[in-house]
Amino acid sequence: MRLLRQDLHTLTGAYALDALEEGGELTRFNRHLSRCQSCASEVRGFREVATAMAFAATTEPPPGMRDQVMAAVARTRQLPPEIRTHARPRRTRSAAPWIPWLSGAIAMAGIVIAVLFGFANAHTQDELNRAREQNQALAAAQARVEAELSQARAHDQALAKILGAPHVTLLSQATTKGGVAVVVLDAAKRQLVVATSGLPALPPGKVYQLWLIGPVKIVSAGLLPEAQGGVTSPVVATGIVKGDKLGLTVEPAPGTKQPTTTPILALPLPV
Amino acid sequence: MNPSDSDASRFTPATADRRGERDLDDLLVHVARGDQVAFEALYDRMVGPVYGVIRRVLRDPSQSEEVAQEVLLEVWRTAARFDPAVGGAATWVATIAHRRAIDRIRSTTAAADREHRSADVSPPHDEVAEAVEASLDRERVRRCLDSLTEMQRESITLAYYGGHSYRQVAELLNVTLGAIKTRIRDGLIRMRDCLGVS
Repeated sequence: MRLLRQDLHTLTGAYALDALEEGGELTRFNRHLSRCQSCASEVRGFREVATAMAFAATTEPPPGMRDQVMAAVARTRQLPPEIRTHARPRRTRSAAPWIPWLSGAIAMAGIVIAVLFGFANAHTQDELNRAREQNQALAAAQARVEAELSQARAHDQALAKILGAPHVTLLSQATTKGGVAVVVLDAAKRQLVVATSGLPALPPGKVYQLWLIGPVKIVSAGLLPEAQGGVTSPVVATGIVKGDKLGLTVEPAPGTKQPTTTPILALPLPV
Repeated sequence: MNPSDSDASRFTPATADRRGERDLDDLLVHVARGDQVAFEALYDRMVGPVYGVIRRVLRDPSQSEEVAQEVLLEVWRTAARFDPAVGGAATWVATIAHRRAIDRIRSTTAAADREHRSADVSPPHDEVAEAVEASLDRERVRRCLDSLTEMQRESITLAYYGGHSYRQVAELLNVTLGAIKTRIRDGLIRMRDCLGVS
């Protein structure tokens, strides 16, 4: 039986309760979910309901279980963070709002790339445009990218490829508070450039602080500059080690030595 | 740390106060860095719901213990893959727990047992109502389940606590697949609003 889109959409509830059986329907729904922002957010809400139901079912575990688990933990290696070469906007954004968002991401990427390629002062859209005029190659590359992307929707890989810099990876990820961080990662040199767009404004006395969250330690990667027109100018972070994630937290000015709040972004850095 | 600054968790206040929930997210971040003390604290907070939901689905105490141990170890092993953008730490852990219980029940070895079990599913509403001495969580969930239609309530509890697929729920309640899909979804929407999930 072929399922209509509407039928798929109503499966959000069953999916969130793990009530879809393995097989075609689950596969089709997963595919649908990756393209349907409203479905993904509905599933998220339903999972929270399920979590409340799990808490409501709270039961005292058998004695001795804690010791057994802790013993197992002591001899079990942890897995490294999942390596993602691109962010997952597809999971959270539907097809329609994708294109304008993508253009924004490309513009942002243009900014960070411009910096990476030596346009050190190109940190506003105007300056980027000027840089574009000055550098037709970059502009042409971007135009090609934009055309290609609207078809391929594999923005980061395509961008990196077309810009002819195989060691540079473009990553982007939405924060849990809204807005998006765009990162150009130079894995070979273990450095990155990050800029953000659309982060919520902070009350006075608060700053956004970047972190390299590693398997062993967390180091500060500096503060985000104040946004202008919703966009923060690029920040360079160096000394990335394997397993690091780029984290972003809200901290009291002028920043802290270690994060004191939950990261609103934790972007794995494939180096 | 000023708790009002770390409102990154989208987690529902349904299960705990918001501050408690944020702490859980922080704990998981520390666990991801190999902090066993943080894991112990996380364990103490989550073991009740983890074991409880698995026990609801599997019923058998020794199988439940086994699966709960696997789940908690999986939390330790894969903590670095927790993505706060997708939901809070409690939801991440509870989702793993429920899914592993379902995996177990849908595995072939459990199939025979399950046939037997599905016959004696007691009215799910009573199962929840049983636990009256219950915590605030329990009370809230019960109150919200009460606000559903009987069909919605039965569909949701048979699926989540009973571990049945929606196809099986449709068979048990003798209604069409389409009707079950809709009832589960409509019921969850009402639950979500009732629990104040954003």
